[in-house]
Amino acid sequence: MPLLSVNNLEVQFALRQGAVTALRDICFTLERGERLGVVGESGAGKSVLGFSIINLISKPGAITHGEVVYEDQNLAVMDNKQLRSIRGNRIAMIFQDPMMTLNPVLTIGAQMVECLHAHRKISKAEARAIALDKLKQVQIPSPETRLDQYPHELSGGMRQRIVIAISLLLDPDLIIADEPTTALDVTIQAEIMDLILTLCKEHNVALMLITHDLGVVAEVTQRTMVMYAGRIIEEGPTQEIIHNARHPYTHGLINALPEMTTPGQRLNQIPGSMPSLQSIPDGCAFRARCDRAIEICKTQVPGLQVQQDVKVACHLYSPENEVPHG
Amino acid sequence: MDNSSAPLVEIKNLHKRFSISGDFLDQIKFQGGRLVRKQEFVHAINGVTLDVKPGEALCIVGESGCGKSTVARNVMGLLTPSEGEIHYRGERIDHLSAKELLPYRRKMQMIFQNPYASLNPRMTINKTLQEPIRFHNPSWSEDEVKDKVVEVMESVGIDPGWGVRFSHEFSGGQRQRISIARALAVDPEFIMADEPISALDVSIQAQVLNLLMEAQEARNLTYMFITHDLSVVEHFGTRVAVMYLGTVCEVAKTADLFATPKHPYTQALLSAIPRLDAKKRPHIKLHGEVPTPVNLPSGCVFHGRCPHVNQRCKEEIPLVRQVDGGGVACHAVEEGRI
Repeated sequence: MPLLSVNNLEVQFALRQGAVTALRDICFTLERGERLGVVGESGAGKSVLGFSIINLISKPGAITHGEVVYEDQNLAVMDNKQLRSIRGNRIAMIFQDPMMTLNPVLTIGAQMVECLHAHRKISKAEARAIALDKLKQVQIPSPETRLDQYPHELSGGMRQRIVIAISLLLDPDLIIADEPTTALDVTIQAEIMDLILTLCKEHNVALMLITHDLGVVAEVTQRTMVMYAGRIIEEGPTQEIIHNARHPYTHGLINALPEMTTPGQRLNQIPGSMPSLQSIPDGCAFRARCDRAIEICKTQVPGLQVQQDVKVACHLYSPENEVPHG
Repeated sequence: MDNSSAPLVEIKNLHKRFSISGDFLDQIKFQGGRLVRKQEFVHAINGVTLDVKPGEALCIVGESGCGKSTVARNVMGLLTPSEGEIHYRGERIDHLSAKELLPYRRKMQMIFQNPYASLNPRMTINKTLQEPIRFHNPSWSEDEVKDKVVEVMESVGIDPGWGVRFSHEFSGGQRQRISIARALAVDPEFIMADEPISALDVSIQAQVLNLLMEAQEARNLTYMFITHDLSVVEHFGTRVAVMYLGTVCEVAKTADLFATPKHPYTQALLSAIPRLDAKKRPHIKLHGEVPTPVNLPSGCVFHGRCPHVNQRCKEEIPLVRQVDGGGVACHAVEEGRI
């Protein structure tokens, strides 16, 4: 049985102009210890997906359809009290900006002990010992002093290490990391990604890494899911997605990277931009930007087609419209 | 016209300090029974010397806080250097008055990082684009101004019919095109682009980079391009200057820098780029954090994190020395230790 399975998930936001569907027909599974990358442009729904897994969607948004099954419990229908035993305990989340996620008026130690006390009946001394151990695991220099420091005394990279240590406190099965290194510099980013990768491997923790950086996904994850306008459009082994992308959008996204072109040459751009969620056209949402669009793309939303070990939502790969690859 | 090898923009031994001690009264401290005045400074730039040759794209890379945007703002006259000089076509411009700067402002334009903040939300696009043209060409007729607006809008791929709209009606990529159009509207020679694509999505980044390269070719522009994204530099730059804590540690032709980085910081920076390629060079780990620019380390600013450090690095500030056509500020490279 997979650790997590998401079935036909749909998330809507009730706005004044009417309901906006942020996620549609999301289906995927995640095995124990597996590392999954979620990529897409801003507004594609990657973060909403991360939040909806632990049912953190707040009003006016709601999960309107589908289920999120963790082990054998459906998180989508649980109330907050039940969810509390899962959130932070079995499924932990790392957010983009560590300055926003840490409480500025509590010491690092106080925040870590608070988190432990919320889930376990242990003494303060025991909790501090666990906290210290986790700080050592994330390779923070002089961890004993850090426990009594406030977040503002630490640098961005250091804060993100603290956030990772907090996420590890209760030995979760799954960590959802939403753009964990976007706010950091490239040398710090490399250290933090190395750290996340090592910790996930050592403790057999599953990772769902939400990012827009294909390079990071290529280095850290085993499987990748590409999102566009609220849907999954391609999913499969990371190396396969990167070197043999099937969906025209994924293909375009990878080809648009500067490293895919000879220096100084024109980059392979994708024309246009992603439609806003309020005005998704009929048929395939990518159609207007796609250079391989055919008649059926105008009317019918493509479903996920299985192509060996890759799933792709594109009419070009449905059996009746089989077009030679490339 | 001067000969082509003469630099268009020269930055000579630029220093910039920002006081962080507040005003005069805040600086007065009671110490050892006496009143003393104490001032503290952020040493944002410490002796940067660079030149930009006509027609090239000089990229400045570095991590946040290394002073790359401060260099840009000093060059553009948005900040006044604490020490050092800025020259444009051989003329010193950093000490000029606003009025004297006017002809230079027309030749030097800037594109900012965030197109959500750099466009006035209360102006239509037509107004935004007409303002600089009118300001710099007061003798132009209404029709000439409008024709120019249509021309620049077309050149950046924005339908001139959209000129009646406001900036909030456009997406991030379109807004950045409009900011580029605004910079091009006065026919500049030199464009300072401060992280122009960092706020954009990958598929849009490619569009904007292509646009900048097209404009460079069509209008014979010279760029100074500030960024933290090294893969963009590899693609876009003619030469690259790597900055660390307010100093330049290495300047070289782009291909040379990426093939054989010499400064230990450049080496670590390049190895940290996430690559699609599985067979990349191993990641060189740097220990510790960037020191604060308030209390600069003695000697080489990088010595606290450098794997090749020795006693000399801790005492003596390395100067940029010419090595194989590029410049490197490193004692270890000079001594042949690496």
